[in-house]
Amino acid sequence: MHKIKLAGLLGAVALAAACGDNFLTGGELSNDPNRPTQATSAQLFVGIEVNTWAELSSDLSRVSNLWTQQLLGENLYTDTYHYGVSEGTTNGFQAALYTGGGLIDIHRLEQQTAAAHDSVFHGVAEVMEALLIGTGADLFGDITYTHALTNEQNPPLDPQLAVYDSVQVLLSRAIVDLAATGPTNAGPGDADLAYHGDAAKWTKLAHTLKARFLAHTGEVRPTVYAQVASEAKAGLTDNTDTFNAVFSGAANEQNFWYQFDIVQRPGYIAPDPQFVALLKSRTDPRLATFFNADQSDLSDALLKPTASQPLVSALESVLLWAEGLQRSGNDAGALVRLNQARALVGLAAEPAGLSGRDLLSEILLEEYIADFQSLEAWNLYKRTCTPNLTPIVAGKKIPARFPYDGVERNTNTNIPPLSGQPARNANDPANATSDATGAACLGQ
Amino acid sequence: MQSLQFRFRRTLFLPVLLAIPGSLVAQAATVRGHVTSEAGTPLIGVTVSIAGIGVGSTTGNDGQYTFTVPGTRVSGQSVTLSARRVGFAPQSAPITLSPGTIQHDFVMVPTAQQLDQVIVTGAGTSQVRERVGSVINSVDSSLITREAQPQNILSSLTATAPNVRVSTQSGEPGGSAFVIIRGATSVTGTNQPLIVVDNQPIDNTTLSTSGGNGSTVTQNRAADLNPNDVESVQILKGAAASAIYGARAANGVILITTKKGSNGPTRYSFSSTQTFDNVIKTAPLQTDFGQGSDGTSGTCATPDCNATSLSWGALLDASVPVFNHGKEIFQTGLTSDNALSVSGGNNRTTFYLSGGITDQLGVMKGGNNRYDRSTVKLSASHQLLNTLTFGGNFSYFNSVGDYVQKGSNTSGLLLGALRTSPDFNNLPFLDPISGLQRSYRFPHPTAESITDSRGYDNPFFVLDNEGNRSELGRFIGSLTANWVPTAWLSFNETFGADNYTDSRVEALPLTSSSDPVGNVTRFQITNLEIDHNLTATLSHDLGSNVQARLVLGQNLNSRRNRQVNVFGDQLIAPSPLAIQNTVSFTPTEMRSLRHIAAYFGQGELDFYDQFHITAGIRDDGFSTFGASHRSAAYPKVDGTWTFVNPAGNGSGRWLSMGRVRAAYGETGREPLPYSTISALSTTTLFGSGLGDFIGSNQSGHGGLVTGPNLGNTDLKPERNKESEIGADFGFFNQRSDLSVTYYSKRSTDVILPVPVNAAATGANTALVNGATITNKGLELALNTHPYASRTVDVTIGGNFARNIGKVESLFQGVQFIPYPLEGFIGAAGSSSVGFAPGVIRGQDFVRCGLGQKASLPGVGDLANVDSACGAGAKKGALYISGTDNMPVVDPDDRVIADPNPHWTAGLSGQIRIGHVQLSTLFDIRRGGQVWDGTRAALDRFGTAQETDARKADGIFGKNVLADENVAGPGAGKVAFHSLSDWQTWYTTTGGSASDVQSQFVEDGSFVKWREVSLVYTLDQPWVKSRLGVASALIRVAGRNLKTWTKYRGLDPETNVGGAEFLTQGIDFFNNPQTRSFVVSVSLTK
Repeated sequence: MHKIKLAGLLGAVALAAACGDNFLTGGELSNDPNRPTQATSAQLFVGIEVNTWAELSSDLSRVSNLWTQQLLGENLYTDTYHYGVSEGTTNGFQAALYTGGGLIDIHRLEQQTAAAHDSVFHGVAEVMEALLIGTGADLFGDITYTHALTNEQNPPLDPQLAVYDSVQVLLSRAIVDLAATGPTNAGPGDADLAYHGDAAKWTKLAHTLKARFLAHTGEVRPTVYAQVASEAKAGLTDNTDTFNAVFSGAANEQNFWYQFDIVQRPGYIAPDPQFVALLKSRTDPRLATFFNADQSDLSDALLKPTASQPLVSALESVLLWAEGLQRSGNDAGALVRLNQARALVGLAAEPAGLSGRDLLSEILLEEYIADFQSLEAWNLYKRTCTPNLTPIVAGKKIPARFPYDGVERNTNTNIPPLSGQPARNANDPANATSDATGAACLGQ
Repeated sequence: MQSLQFRFRRTLFLPVLLAIPGSLVAQAATVRGHVTSEAGTPLIGVTVSIAGIGVGSTTGNDGQYTFTVPGTRVSGQSVTLSARRVGFAPQSAPITLSPGTIQHDFVMVPTAQQLDQVIVTGAGTSQVRERVGSVINSVDSSLITREAQPQNILSSLTATAPNVRVSTQSGEPGGSAFVIIRGATSVTGTNQPLIVVDNQPIDNTTLSTSGGNGSTVTQNRAADLNPNDVESVQILKGAAASAIYGARAANGVILITTKKGSNGPTRYSFSSTQTFDNVIKTAPLQTDFGQGSDGTSGTCATPDCNATSLSWGALLDASVPVFNHGKEIFQTGLTSDNALSVSGGNNRTTFYLSGGITDQLGVMKGGNNRYDRSTVKLSASHQLLNTLTFGGNFSYFNSVGDYVQKGSNTSGLLLGALRTSPDFNNLPFLDPISGLQRSYRFPHPTAESITDSRGYDNPFFVLDNEGNRSELGRFIGSLTANWVPTAWLSFNETFGADNYTDSRVEALPLTSSSDPVGNVTRFQITNLEIDHNLTATLSHDLGSNVQARLVLGQNLNSRRNRQVNVFGDQLIAPSPLAIQNTVSFTPTEMRSLRHIAAYFGQGELDFYDQFHITAGIRDDGFSTFGASHRSAAYPKVDGTWTFVNPAGNGSGRWLSMGRVRAAYGETGREPLPYSTISALSTTTLFGSGLGDFIGSNQSGHGGLVTGPNLGNTDLKPERNKESEIGADFGFFNQRSDLSVTYYSKRSTDVILPVPVNAAATGANTALVNGATITNKGLELALNTHPYASRTVDVTIGGNFARNIGKVESLFQGVQFIPYPLEGFIGAAGSSSVGFAPGVIRGQDFVRCGLGQKASLPGVGDLANVDSACGAGAKKGALYISGTDNMPVVDPDDRVIADPNPHWTAGLSGQIRIGHVQLSTLFDIRRGGQVWDGTRAALDRFGTAQETDARKADGIFGKNVLADENVAGPGAGKVAFHSLSDWQTWYTTTGGSASDVQSQFVEDGSFVKWREVSLVYTLDQPWVKSRLGVASALIRVAGRNLKTWTKYRGLDPETNVGGAEFLTQGIDFFNNPQTRSFVVSVSLTK
């Protein structure tokens, strides 16, 4: 090897004067030997899944659970638990909406699947886009979407409610695409680790996501709840429908909660006494599902490297169905759905006749419990003030949005410095009272 | 300055001087003579030459020199014969060159000024110092072997030259040295200079196995060199000096010349040095409060229980034993360095053969803190024809190191050690029953806990980990040829290769807190650099007073790098710590190839031996640039005027020498390979900065995502334009000299990864030519030789340097670029507009007198801070809220620490009385802030000494943030009444969990007493007759004896990432610096 190199170099000495650039181009000099430049749709899709799993079940879900008092934060989480937020709190997850595995690859996948006339795969990509961008709107409020990936300087932000509208349009389109049949509609197949390319399940997921993001606008658009109910009805209803992040347990393929609580940062999170007390007061068997025997940590079942992490669950969907019905005036239907949801987790049915605020309160508390480990508990709290949490720090409000990422702010004049950013997003005016109890809201 | 052992004859790189005709031909002339000092002793190593013809020789042991001038060049003409040697004033004499033997003797007079020296100026060129129009600092071998860290050639440059700032990562064996010359000119990479050994560029990468914030210490690769083999070091600082290296020279160039053999009897030299090291300082810890929380004890007693990480427990009873966890892990280290060299030759062939073995055992207990290096070297040259000389340099280096994990790493040594509660005994570190690791957070491990985290590792367990090793084999070799076909033309070729393989393991055994299931990382780096450098030198006398020289050259360079990293997760059996004993593997490979094709020319004109002008240009072609910018030209010009000449009319007057100089030059810098290409990534990790990540492949399905960096096909080299002016003066018959230099450097098109708007581009960063950086500075060097007699000799020297670096602009409106791998959330490395590259960003408290508007509790949103502070508030005082009597966090991110010093200085003194020589060196740094992240963390855990303040009520400005002025409604009022109040503060806003890390930024100014040494030289006749050696030298020395600093942490000269980080001044559980005592014996025969 070396001899060849040396001889080559000596030869190059003689030749260099005559053919200057030959010594400087070609082979490993010009082509990156480390990074590929082509990807199949299936490979792009795996990357998109991975990015979505991180967005939904890594740091943001933990931090939001600290603010919903389902987890208690210690160590470096102490400050966050006490509502300390900064431009670093997002931990890169604003940029991750757009970067590798995010919108840029979703768009690439959408182009590739369209070119291959694979409408099913195209629909799957649209569902992933809606989930990601809708989550971005939940977290940050106004975000760049219609001007995303245009390479323009200082891309304008879309108003949060307009982003939610775009998400609905996208999901409607996805539902149409997913219904396509024909030989070119191969879909993602086994690269889809959650549904293995099952278009029917993707269609259900699309409906549940419609319900989820409609519900997020419910505080400022109270008329959406009837549609929340109808979408949820067409959504995920069985536990086998739940959209999970799936982990093999191999290196770099392990559940985030396991990695965080067992390997990387033991002692940073613990069950919050408020949440433990709530579960105990309801004699909810999930106390043992969620936590270990002395409620000093999460349960072993949740802390396995191979534990599947629900990102959008049938339980969430059925409870949204119940809430949508109740809020659109159908208490009887709501109670049926509440009991359907309770059955999913092995709980006995609520007594007949439960109605009005008591029924809504039960539904919302069930949602709060069901949304443990998910961002949805915090989204629920923001829009309903349920449960009516007493802030950990007297006189402070519970954070209602994640500040924009420092780098995104630094590179876009449309994003104000943190001190100029709103405390709450457009979909989420401060609740005067708790939806569940009618009492004055303590944390907003 | 030089001790006897190093007085080897010098073979010059001046190509014309190497072409010494070897045998007499018809009508040749032989020039010979004897060179002595004023005292009459023979002087070795004096270069005697006829510059106009380009022939000469150096004196041998006996002070004799002899050389032959070929008959073709002997015509009875009058020529100037000159004699030069470091430390002596140059002498010259007219001789008539006619056939036969010409005898001329010289008597040399010592001088402090080193202007007479012929110095290497790079790329095969050399020059007499007084003709060089830019500053080139020289460090000779005696200083190198005397200086700070003997195992690292770059560390030995500490405090020796102005504006050559050297910091050593820690006192550990194998720690890297970070060198910045005249300020950082770039915001990417670490701005380390190019290292050239014997005209051949070598690799000086510093690359840790798993990131500078954690991992272990890592060598900079130039540390492989054996300092005993080094003859001299020249530091090319300005762009005019280094322009001959074009686009690799933006950070300056360090030229290392190794020792060579010389004509004469075979010489033997042996030296043995024993160095005893101990830590200078251990962390200040409290021992009054025990493990626990809110003032109550928090230990636990049941099997496999988890105890609190905090030491916010009860006041300990005097009867409770306490332990100094900062101190108990250290011992006295021992370095043993043995070197042997043999050199000699005849008038056609010379050789130098050496071997060295350095065994270093560090200051950390446990035997896994060591670095052993063995080197062999052969240099030889042979004169094949009268006009043709071949030579070669061949070195082999073998180093083996064992390291201890450090830094931000729950399995790092000090992180666990210093957080341990004072009432917990870390010994035994293995539970007597289960045999598994016990720690203060996990005191009673059972056999079931074999894959459970200990929270933080027991420091003795960390020390016991033998899984962190490096094994390096490196070959550096070159062939040289010198051909002088005619009197006015010579060719010089160097063809060399630098090839190493660094094979590393970094492993964590079972129960390690940062990965309790254990892991093994295998990391193998193979690097090959091949360099061809050809120069042609044309010399001509244009009349008797004008000399001209032209150098033309070609340089071709190829660098090939291969890195293979295999991460094996989850140990199967507890040992061995080997990759096949793990459950799953993640391999990554990085390959790169880079070529350079360059042509250069340099012309020199000398008038009346007074004016000298050099102008040159280098055209550099780089494979790493975009197609349209593949080559670029780098010009330079410098000039000097020597208006008072020490060898001429100036002798005896108070001003014995005077010279002014000016220089201008341009250099560049290349990007990392493949930066022009946008590609997909297989290595992106998805997750948070807290360590929970997944990769792009899942469950057997390969994933690909768009890479985080946008490629840029328009990349072109950075451009540094530097002007310098200066003057050199000699006083009182050259007994004192003063050198003053001012420079101004402007770096444009600086390559930087700009954070790009992810929403607009789908990427995180793009590499662009964007930034403009300026560095301006002043350098002063003063040497005096106040007293010299035959038996007593006194030398005092000093240097002072100031560099003001400033990032003028980055890219478009970007105000800073973060370095996510350097530092921490809350105290992150960056380059920010308005500051020198490498500053720390974070948040501060709301302060008075700065015109701030902020949300103040009890006052309102966007309140006027200054009016809330009240009249009379000092500017910069902390605003103390009336609501809780505490300061208020300012949410805006800003620069909180600038680690770049205001100025630096070195001071040295030496006195020789007969055979005894005493020398000392001080290193002074003014300014340069350090973020003491260690204190931030220990405040949180309640082990820091300052948390002893909890014995009283807490008042800001008094016993909390005691150095701060305070104002506002809560100023002077009690904020903390109870132990819980104190704990709440330090575990949230007042400690390492806080967004406000400005409160841990401290002034890093220091004065360090780097060295004091006493040398006794035995060279009396009885030494030879009794001991059979020509001389013996005994040296006793102390290094880093004393540090004067206000810095409260271990050492202000510290950085967790060593030479791997551009941002210095990051202290986060860094391993400490050491103090050394040295005993050394050298024998020369």
